[in-house]
Amino acid sequence: MNALRWPAILAALLVLPLVLPSFLVVVVTEIAIVALFATAFNLLMGFGGMVSFGHAAYFALGAYAAALLVKQGALPMLVGLAAAPVVAAAGALLFGFFIVRLTHTYFAMLSLAFAQIVFTVIFKWTALTGGDNGILNVWPPEALKSPRAYCYFTLAVAGLGILALHAIVNSPFGYALKAIRENPRRARFIGVNVRRHQLLAFVLSGFFSGLAGGLFAFFNGSVFPDFAYLNKSFEPLVVVLLGGAQSFFGPLVGAFGFKILETFIARQWPIYWPLFLGGVVVLVIVILPQGFVGLLARRTWPTKTAAP
Amino acid sequence: MADQDRGPIVLQTVGLKKHFGGLQAVNGVDLGVPDGDLRAIIGPNGAGKTTLFNLITGDLPHDSGQIYFRGEEVSGLAPHDLCRRGIGRTFQVTSIFRRLTALENVQTALLSHHRRHYDILRPARRLYREPAMALLERVGLAGQAAKPSGILAHGDQRRLELAIALASEPRLLMLDEPTAGMAARERHEIMALAADIAREAGLTILFTEHDMDVVFAVAKRITVLHQGAVIAEGTPPEVRANREVQRVYLGHRAAPAR
Repeated sequence: MNALRWPAILAALLVLPLVLPSFLVVVVTEIAIVALFATAFNLLMGFGGMVSFGHAAYFALGAYAAALLVKQGALPMLVGLAAAPVVAAAGALLFGFFIVRLTHTYFAMLSLAFAQIVFTVIFKWTALTGGDNGILNVWPPEALKSPRAYCYFTLAVAGLGILALHAIVNSPFGYALKAIRENPRRARFIGVNVRRHQLLAFVLSGFFSGLAGGLFAFFNGSVFPDFAYLNKSFEPLVVVLLGGAQSFFGPLVGAFGFKILETFIARQWPIYWPLFLGGVVVLVIVILPQGFVGLLARRTWPTKTAAP
Repeated sequence: MADQDRGPIVLQTVGLKKHFGGLQAVNGVDLGVPDGDLRAIIGPNGAGKTTLFNLITGDLPHDSGQIYFRGEEVSGLAPHDLCRRGIGRTFQVTSIFRRLTALENVQTALLSHHRRHYDILRPARRLYREPAMALLERVGLAGQAAKPSGILAHGDQRRLELAIALASEPRLLMLDEPTAGMAARERHEIMALAADIAREAGLTILFTEHDMDVVFAVAKRITVLHQGAVIAEGTPPEVRANREVQRVYLGHRAAPAR
């Protein structure tokens, strides 16, 4: 069963875009992007114990870097997409240098403040970013223009990003990051430079958030200042809370649940969507503190431990 | 007073001071710990033992004075830096990585010690597994390796913390009340374990302890702190015979009769 799980998921991902109606193909693409963004965010929250309220900054830096290079620089899409994570990581290095000096609430608030700065710069620097009008017609080349083709492309790129994050979490770097989450004082006394380690995690998280932003720019065909706004910063937080922060795959499950709910509820009853989402988040936090993933784990746990 | 037959000084503090508001917690401590020593620091509650520890390990900045480790001045260095230079420690309140397994706790310490902790490419699960198991075995936790360390019994968590500290291959191991919260028999066990390991590895131990039975059973030398200052230092019999020590500390605790 376990051995068949990965081939089964891979097969499903290959077949889904072929059989789904095209509006759902678009939803699958969006799920993949949100899953990458939330998984990058959760490198900090779930594994580093650092909750950022401003991750939209790195998503937006990636999206704008990609859009500007393609539109203003007239460079190919792949160059723009490759630059997205690099620019976002540079921003994360600059802001993170200050943010990781703080902990808990102050960490969250400073990350939010930097995101607001990014938002304001994008909003006001009309000459470069188009301000409120955004940057339009940021399309991928002809071969990737169809929803189906871009869906495959996104699944591949986001999938590789998520696999890379999975490797990071399970690497020696990831072990030390978890150690810092558990006990920074003890971590120092096994020789870990806690602040530097947290900064590296922040940069890695920014890198993959920027990749998600780049993918989204070409998916959306345009970029806008609200990519850097609060709502976008809270998206990965909500996704991680829904899916479960303690599990690596929590954000994937959360992204799926979040986008499905959004697709079928927000589009039907847009006014009630925030109310509904708020209710779901409250329910999940109260009843399922481990998120949707906790539900799965709870089901399988007794059978796993029955035979010692 | 410096015994020439003992090894070179591993740790030395000169005129170390620290105050918290109006309280002079550590008031000019001169301490010299030779290589291979098993040194107890004792004193009544509030004597400044833990503060002195935290100054030496860089957890707290000191106000004045110097700290030398193996001949180099290390005053003001960060804990992770001191750890790399060979100072290991355990904390008064058990300090482990609770949601990691016992094995992962020690593995993480080994990965950091071998400077592999920035590696993001390799899976860590199999790295330093054998040495980590050997350390767990040494402290008697081989059977608990796969359990999340947070669910281990208190005594086992203290043993685990000892294994974590040992993974950094310290030259000087500082144990802040290693037996806190343990039953009497367990206290002697864990101190004897630490003393054995120190002897095998040739490392120096500096420890604080409230249980005088334990102190007088294992310590080679004892330093007595009172109100932030050293009032006596010597072998256990010397310290036990010291009038001042009896007056301020041992006296009201019924010094263990031999």
